[in-house]
Amino acid sequence: MTVVGHEGDLGTDEPVPVDKAPVDSTGEALTAKKRFEFLYFAVRNKKLLIGLSVVVLFALVALLGPLFVKHSMLAYGPPFRPPSAAYWFGTNYFGQDVFAEFVYGLRESLFVGLLGGCGATVIGMTFGFLAGYKGGMIDEALNVLCNVLLTIPGLVLLILIAGFLHHTSAVIEGLLIAGTTWTWAMRAIRAQTFSLVSRDFVGLAKLSGEKSRSIIVREIAPNMSSYLFLVFILLFGGAILVAASFDFLGLGPSNGMSLGIMMEQAADWSALPLHLWWWFVPPGAAITCVVGGLYFANVGLDEVFNPKLREL
Amino acid sequence: MFIHKRKMAVGFVVAVAAASLMLPLLSVGASGAPRHASDTVLSFPRNETVYTSGVAYSAPTAWNPMNLGNIATGTQGLLYETLFLYNPITNGYIPWLAKSGTWTNASTYTIVLRNGIKWSNGSAFTSADVAYTIMLAKTNPAVPYSNLGPFIASVTTPDAATVVVHFSSAAYTQWQNFLWHNPIVNKAIWSGMSAADQVTGANATPIGTGPMLLNAANDQEVAYSTNPNWWGIKDLGLSFKFKYLVDIVNGSNNVELGQLLEGNIDISNNFLPGIASLVSSPAATGQLNATGGYGILTYYPKAPYMLSANTVWLEPNMTLAPMNNLNFRKAVAYAINPAQIASVIYDNLVDPANPTGLLPNLNPFISKSVLKQYGFSYNPKLAKQFLKASSYKGQNITIQDPVGWTDWNTATQVIVQDLAAVGIKATAFFPEYAAREANLTDGTYDFALDNNAGPSSNPWSYFDRVFQLPILKKQTAQLNWERDNNPAAWALVQKLGTIPSTNVAASQAIYAQLEQIELSTLPEIPLWYNGAWAQYNTTYWKDYPVSTNAKDQYTPVMWGGWLGNMTTVLALAQLKPVG
Amino acid sequence: MRRYLARKLIIYVVTFFVAATIDWLLPRMVPGNPVSLLLAKMNLQPQTYNATYSLYMKAFGFNRPWWDQYLNFWRALLHGNLGVSIYDFPKPVTSVIADYVLFTLALLIPAILLAYFAGNKVGAMAARRKSLDNTVLPVGYLLTATAYPWLALLLAFLFAAGGIGHFFPISGGFSYGLIPAWNWAFMWSLITHWFLPFLTLFLVAFGGWAIGMRNLIIYELESDYTHYLEALGAPSKLVRRYAYRNAMLPQLTGLALQLGVIVGGAVVTEVTFAYPGLGYLIFQAVGNDDYFLLQGIFMFIIVGVLVANFIIDIIYVLVDPRTRVGISGA
Repeated sequence: MTVVGHEGDLGTDEPVPVDKAPVDSTGEALTAKKRFEFLYFAVRNKKLLIGLSVVVLFALVALLGPLFVKHSMLAYGPPFRPPSAAYWFGTNYFGQDVFAEFVYGLRESLFVGLLGGCGATVIGMTFGFLAGYKGGMIDEALNVLCNVLLTIPGLVLLILIAGFLHHTSAVIEGLLIAGTTWTWAMRAIRAQTFSLVSRDFVGLAKLSGEKSRSIIVREIAPNMSSYLFLVFILLFGGAILVAASFDFLGLGPSNGMSLGIMMEQAADWSALPLHLWWWFVPPGAAITCVVGGLYFANVGLDEVFNPKLREL
Repeated sequence: MFIHKRKMAVGFVVAVAAASLMLPLLSVGASGAPRHASDTVLSFPRNETVYTSGVAYSAPTAWNPMNLGNIATGTQGLLYETLFLYNPITNGYIPWLAKSGTWTNASTYTIVLRNGIKWSNGSAFTSADVAYTIMLAKTNPAVPYSNLGPFIASVTTPDAATVVVHFSSAAYTQWQNFLWHNPIVNKAIWSGMSAADQVTGANATPIGTGPMLLNAANDQEVAYSTNPNWWGIKDLGLSFKFKYLVDIVNGSNNVELGQLLEGNIDISNNFLPGIASLVSSPAATGQLNATGGYGILTYYPKAPYMLSANTVWLEPNMTLAPMNNLNFRKAVAYAINPAQIASVIYDNLVDPANPTGLLPNLNPFISKSVLKQYGFSYNPKLAKQFLKASSYKGQNITIQDPVGWTDWNTATQVIVQDLAAVGIKATAFFPEYAAREANLTDGTYDFALDNNAGPSSNPWSYFDRVFQLPILKKQTAQLNWERDNNPAAWALVQKLGTIPSTNVAASQAIYAQLEQIELSTLPEIPLWYNGAWAQYNTTYWKDYPVSTNAKDQYTPVMWGGWLGNMTTVLALAQLKPVG
Repeated sequence: MRRYLARKLIIYVVTFFVAATIDWLLPRMVPGNPVSLLLAKMNLQPQTYNATYSLYMKAFGFNRPWWDQYLNFWRALLHGNLGVSIYDFPKPVTSVIADYVLFTLALLIPAILLAYFAGNKVGAMAARRKSLDNTVLPVGYLLTATAYPWLALLLAFLFAAGGIGHFFPISGGFSYGLIPAWNWAFMWSLITHWFLPFLTLFLVAFGGWAIGMRNLIIYELESDYTHYLEALGAPSKLVRRYAYRNAMLPQLTGLALQLGVIVGGAVVTEVTFAYPGLGYLIFQAVGNDDYFLLQGIFMFIIVGVLVANFIIDIIYVLVDPRTRVGISGA
C-alpha cells in the first residue's frame, strides 16, 4: 500500500496485499544496516530534498523572522504601501507592516498544523491499532464512529464546534482539527494492522502470552514506523490547510495572527477592490509552499522506504 | 468497443456537468421567487432602476411593518408610511400621512389626515386605519409601541380625516416618538389576522400607502416598482424618476465595494473600508491612480464624509470590580484615544464622540457649561493619576464585541493598546453575536462595545437607555446594559416624559442635569459616532443627497428607520438619470 | 454482492441516525438564544419584549422539554418538515434550502465529476510519459496543497477585481438586474457567476486526482502481475489498461472520502464569492444561530453524501469483480 498526495488512496477498504506493505520481508523491525541504506537513498532523492528544504526554509523564517521585523505588528504607519525596502511586504489598510504579520502568522499556522497533525496521528494510530488488532465489536464500533465523521464534512463540523466553544485559541484550534481529521489515517492504519496481525511474528508474540498493548507497541508499530511517519506528514499538511479555511471564515483565535487570518482581514478590508495584493498573496503562497513541500517530501520518503520505487 | 464505451462515459460526464450547471433555473417560479405586480419584466432596465444595498443581510421574506427585526428593505417608507417624518439634519418634522397634529388640551391630541390617500388595493385610507393602529398598543402587547398602551384612554374618529387621541396620563415624549416611528397599517387586513400574525406574519402581499409597490423578490434582492397612484405625487409634487428600486442582499463589505465600483450598486449603505481614499484622492493608493476616479460620492466631500448615525460607547459592567469604581472608569475614559480609532480604522469616516455621547443633531440640548466642567478627553497622564486613585489591582479585564464586526474588532485591539499604555491589562474577546448578546443581557462581561443608541429627535430615548430602572436579572430590552443603579437620574428621565415638548426651558434644565450626572458618574464611555454609511456611484444617477446641496438636505440611508421615519424618500425623489 | 451492499446500507442507516442526533444536539449547545438574537435586532421596549419573546419561543418550540424537542425533531424529519428559518423568518427551512441547494449542486456536481475524470486522465497520461510527468507532478502537488480561500481570492483578484481584468463578476449567483427565468440572458449570467467558484473547486480537486492516479498507476506497473504480463509478451497498451482499471478502485473509494472535503471547500469558496449556495447559507446560519436552518442544511448534506456514497458503492461493485464474490470489510 502506498501513501500518496491525497487522502483518498489511503482510505481504501481494500485488504492490503502483504507484499505492498513497507515492512521488511522477514517481519523484523528495521536494523541498523537498513537505516543506513535509507539514509543513502534519502540524500539522493531529489523530491525529498526539494520538499524538505522548502519546509525547512519556512520553518526558519518562522523561527528567526522576528529578528528581521523592523516594524511592530501593532504599529500604524502609512497605509496602502506596496512592497518596498522599508516595508518588505508593503503595508495593509491600517498601515501595519505585512511582513511582521506574515512572520508571526506563519509561526502560528505552523504551530496549529503541527499540533493538528500530531494529534490526528495519535488518535488515528490508537483507534487504527485497536480496530485492526482487536477486530470484532471494537472494530465495528470504531468503524461506525469513523464512518459518521467521514460523512459529516469536517469543516462544517468545525464551524459548529467553534460556535459552541466561542473562544478559540491556537491550541484549541489544533486539537479541534486533530479531532476531525484522523478518520482516514485510522482506516489506513487499521488496514495495515490487519495485514500484520496475520503474520507469523505477531502470532508468535501472541502465543508467548504478550499483552495486546505491548504487542501493538513492540511488534506492530515499529514495523510500520516509516508508514506512520508518512501518515503524519500528510496529516500535518492537511491540518495547515484546514486551519487556513477555518481562520479565513473568521473562526480562528481572536487575539492572534495566522496566515488564514491575514487572508480574512485582507478580504474584509477591501484588499481586492483596493488592489492590495501584497496583503493576501504572501500568506496563501506560504501555505501552498509549505504544504506542497510536505507532500513532495512525502513522495520522496515513500520512494526511500519502498525499494521498488527507487529506480523511478 | 472498449474505447467506444469510454467515449460514451466522457460524454455522459460532460452532459451531466453541463445540465447540473443549469439547475438554478429550476427555482424559476418556485416558492422562492414571489411575483407580485402584473407587469412581466424579466430584467430591470439599468437606466430605469436604482440599486441599493447595505441594509439586508438575509433574503427578503417578510413585509410586515410591525416586525421591525426581519423585514425586507423598503417595507418601512416605500410601502408603509408614518404620520410624520423627522429630519435629523434640520431637526424638524414633516407632516406625512397627517396634515397636522396638535395637543388640543393637556390630554387630547388631534390628528388631521391628508385627503385622498388610497391603499394600494384601491380602498380609501381613513381615520379608522389610524385609530386601529394606535389601539393595537392596547390590544396586542407584542406590537413595538405597546409601551404607549397604558397611557391611552380612547381614540375617536369624528370624521374620515380626523383622529382624536385621549390620554389617561401624560406620555408626551413617547407619543411624539410614535408619531414619526410607527407606520400605519390597514385596519381591514390587520383585524383579520391572529395576534401573532399581526406582529410576526410575513405579510407577503403587502398593501401600503407608500410610493412603491412590491414587484419581485428572491434570495439575492427585493424589487419595487413605482406606485403611480401615490398621494405624494399630487399633494407634494414628488415623483420618482426611476421605475424600479432593487435592494440587494449583502454578501460582505468587500464584495459590496467591488459591486459599487463596477456600477452594479447605486447607493450603498455599508461601512466600506477604503471609501475615503476612493472619494478624496484616488491617487493616495498607487494602484487606483491608474484607473483614475471612480465617480463615487459621499454625503460630505471630505472628512468625516458621513452623517453620524449612532454612538459607539464602551459599556462598563458596573456590578463588577473594578468597573464599579468611578476612578477606574475615569482612567479608562481618559486613556482611550478615539481620534486615533477614527483615523486609523475608519480612515476618518467617523468623528470622535462628544463626551455626552449625544449625536450632533442634538447639540442644542447639550449644556455647554456642564460639558466644559465635567467633560473628558484623551489624556494618558490624567488616566494614570485616576488609575492610581482607583481600586484597580492589575487584574485582566476583557472587552468584547461580536466576532466578524471587523471595524469594531480592530478598534478593540487599538483600545487594548491604549489601556496597556496607562497600565491597564485588557484583552479583546470576540464571541459570536448571539453569545455576546447573552453576555450583555446577563451581565457577564467586563467591558463591551455597543451602539444601540440610535438617532432621535430629542435626548430622551438616549437617557432612557442609559438610566432605565429597575435592573432585571436579564436586561433583555438593551436598556441600561451597564446596570447603573441611579434612581435620581431615572426619576429625571421619567419626569421628562410628562413635560410637553413645547415647554423647552423646563426640559432643557432637566437634560442639563442628566448630562451632568452622566459625565460625572460615567455609566458609559462614548467613543465615536458610527456613520450613516452612504456612498453613491454617479454612473447612472445624479443629484444624490449631499451636504453641499444648499436647500434640500435629506438623509441618504435606506436603513429601515431612516427610510421609513426620516427623509430618505425625499432624497430618492430628487434622483435624476444621468444623460 | 447483495450481502456487501446490505452491509453498507446498514452502516449508512446507523451513520444517518448518529449524524442526525449530533445535528440536533450541536446547535443546541451553542451559547446564545436565537430568539433573543432575533429580538435584539428589533430594539423593543421592556413591556413589549416579554410578550414578543414568549410568542417567538412558542412559535419555535423552545419552551418544550428537550426530549420532546428531540422526538419532535424526528417526527418532523420523517415528514420532511424541518421547521422555520430564523435567518429567513418566517420562511420554512425546506424552501430556503431548496433555493440555495440548486446553486450548490450546480457548483459541486460539475466540479467533482470534471475534476475526477480530467484528473484521472491526466494522471494516467503522466504515468506513462516522463516529459508530461515533470509538469504534472509539481503542478498537481502545488494545486492540491493550495488553500481554497487563497485560490478563491487570487482568482477573484486577477479575473474579477481588475488584477488582470474584469472578465467575470466578483460575487453573487446571477446579475442583480435579472429575474430568474428561462432565457439566454439569465443563463449566461448564471454561467459567468458560476465560473470562478467552479474553477476554484475544480483546480484544487484536479491536482489531487491527477497525483493519485499517477502514483497508483506507477505502483501497478511495478507490481508482480504487470511484470508477469510483460513477461508473457502482452502489448503494453493492454498492460496499461489493466493498471488503469485496477487504479480506478482506490480512486473510487477516494472519491467517496473526498466528498466531505470538497463540501468544506465549497463553504469557503461560496463565502468568498458570495455565491448563494448551501455553504454560504451554513455560514449565515451559524452567524444567526439559526438552529432549524443549520439542522436542515446538515440533514441535506448528510443525505446527499450518503446517497453519493451509495452510488459510488454500486459503481465499485460493478467495476470490481472481487466484490461480487463477497469480500469482508466495511
